[in-house]
Amino acid sequence: MEIKGADIVLRCLRAEGVELVFGYPGGAIMPLYDALEGSGVRHILTRHEQGAVFAAEGYARVTGEVGVAMATSGPGATNLVTGIADAKMDSVPLVCITGQVRSALIGTDAFQETDVFGVTLSLTKWSRLVRTIDEIPEAIAEGFYWARSGRPGPVVIDIPTDMLKAKKEFSGPVKFTPHARAADAKADGGFTDTIVALLRQSSKPVALVGAGAKLSGAIPELRRLLDNLNIPTFATVHGLGAVPPEASYYLGMVGMHGTRAANTALNETDLLFVFGARLDDRVTGEPTRFAPHAKIVHFEIDPAQLDRVRPCEVPVIGNLADTIPAFQAELRRHSLPDFSGWRAVACGPERAELDPRGLAQPTIRFLDELFSRLPQDSVVIADVGQHQMWAAQRYRSSSPRGFITSGGLGAMGFALPAAVGVQLAKPDTCVLCVSGDGGFQMNIQELATVRRLALPVKMVIVDNKYLGMVRQWQQLFYQRNYAETDLSDNPDFVEIAKAYKIHSFRLNEDAMREFPVSAETGDEIDRFLRSPEPELLVFDCAPEANVFPMVPAGAALSEMLLEEDPAQ
Amino acid sequence: MQTFHIRYRNTQGTLMRILNAASRRALDLPVVHAEPSEHDHLVTLALEVNQKQVGQLYREWYGIADVIKVSSGAAHASAWTGAHPPAGVPMEESRAAARA
Repeated sequence: MEIKGADIVLRCLRAEGVELVFGYPGGAIMPLYDALEGSGVRHILTRHEQGAVFAAEGYARVTGEVGVAMATSGPGATNLVTGIADAKMDSVPLVCITGQVRSALIGTDAFQETDVFGVTLSLTKWSRLVRTIDEIPEAIAEGFYWARSGRPGPVVIDIPTDMLKAKKEFSGPVKFTPHARAADAKADGGFTDTIVALLRQSSKPVALVGAGAKLSGAIPELRRLLDNLNIPTFATVHGLGAVPPEASYYLGMVGMHGTRAANTALNETDLLFVFGARLDDRVTGEPTRFAPHAKIVHFEIDPAQLDRVRPCEVPVIGNLADTIPAFQAELRRHSLPDFSGWRAVACGPERAELDPRGLAQPTIRFLDELFSRLPQDSVVIADVGQHQMWAAQRYRSSSPRGFITSGGLGAMGFALPAAVGVQLAKPDTCVLCVSGDGGFQMNIQELATVRRLALPVKMVIVDNKYLGMVRQWQQLFYQRNYAETDLSDNPDFVEIAKAYKIHSFRLNEDAMREFPVSAETGDEIDRFLRSPEPELLVFDCAPEANVFPMVPAGAALSEMLLEEDPAQ
Repeated sequence: MQTFHIRYRNTQGTLMRILNAASRRALDLPVVHAEPSEHDHLVTLALEVNQKQVGQLYREWYGIADVIKVSSGAAHASAWTGAHPPAGVPMEESRAAARA
């Protein structure tokens, strides 16, 4: 029996295990929407295509499955671009299906025609502009293969509307088998002896854990290896949760807003193990002065990430799920040096945080209260800005997919729609969305999605009435010239939430000046986190609160600022 | 000037992705020649690059779905002085450099 191209798309999606797609309809993709009912694919209508792609990302980040977003041609497709770039930077498996103008009009600047294939070429792992209905099954199979394989990433499949309407005999979804390539050859397994030799030469080894450790699914193996190495260890923002925070050798987050202990150890180390991190500039500080005494052993699935900042001495290329157990097995044959002296210094009290309870910073106290009261296995989604870094600094969980944020691209507006995707993937989990007042307004329309689906997302706005991180930089590096960062005319977020029929309330930072907080405040936070309904909490934050430690742009990690300079 | 030969399957966008790896680094593309070659396609590029960029380009090209093989017309591999060569240098040399 002949069926339409739109039905073929949906059957192929089902064959890939897709149950949920996020999208926004429009002219060129209408045939696909027309075919949704009864297809077995549930569609989540967001209120903007960027909301759809971030929601698909949230779904993918928390499950490890491919997230799917749909949009129409032209502006619908271009509104996906930020999410596609975000997925590329943070290695998120994502398939975007876009409608395109009908084949005969392609290249004529037709209404709502955009070359989305060209626009997204440098942002995608793979993409296809479908030319015939016959190509649809193989395009979807190959697209999902590349989205999932190796280092995961985004894929775009652009389908002209006439291909969605056309009919053909459909014999079923197909499987994609990649061609063998020279680049797929596995690295030889002889790296262990080299690494052990380096360990024996070393007196100050450290380990840095990034997102790749989580994406590989090798967290138990990584934890065993780290227990075995027993050397000072820290994580990137995407590596948070990979190492249990209670581990005696764990120093927290590293980088621009990393802990004093982590950044100091990284500056002093003579041997750096990197597990699945690309060492971007937010981690390294000034690259020429990054880990200046260290040799680098880099476990990485994507060879393109090696040597980007500086050469590594021992590249261990491959899926960490393969290379870590192989290394661990080999390591058992060797006796390792005793690094207890170095560990005592690196993890010692002299390098502890200056204000571990955040008593001088009510927003930190507030986040500590929130996080300490979260039910087990909760998921925290942070937007981008000061609140993101405070949250990353204070997050204490050993849940590998428990902290989600736009780390590489730093896309404001990410958190609320991503929380929609996370909550749909984990309906019984407490999902806490932490945003700033700037970022929340970038996708504030998704409150309608939250309300329509009655998703019990717990939303927090840390409202300092500024674009806080930019303002902090303006204060510290631009002589307090607060150019266009003042948001003092923000709307009343409590009233806005009410308009969406979402319960909301305000908490003033004065409530956080007591330690411990009053029973009344504690009870209110507990009630908020356990409410079966969506809720919004607006936390009024001091306008000029700053995030410390901070490594200024262009400075080395050793030059981090630990606290406010009274002269500024 | 360094000459690169990249063998690839001529699927949609593959050649553009290969060229984009150079253009995103603001490298001029004075010579680009693409043609069918045996069962695949071959593009030859001449680029003014430093050693770090050679390594980055090799790896980025290999990351493209339909790139099959990357090689260089010049003897850049034997001239490589870094500890981790981009490709084609035996692992033993790399290890020896790491231990040094």
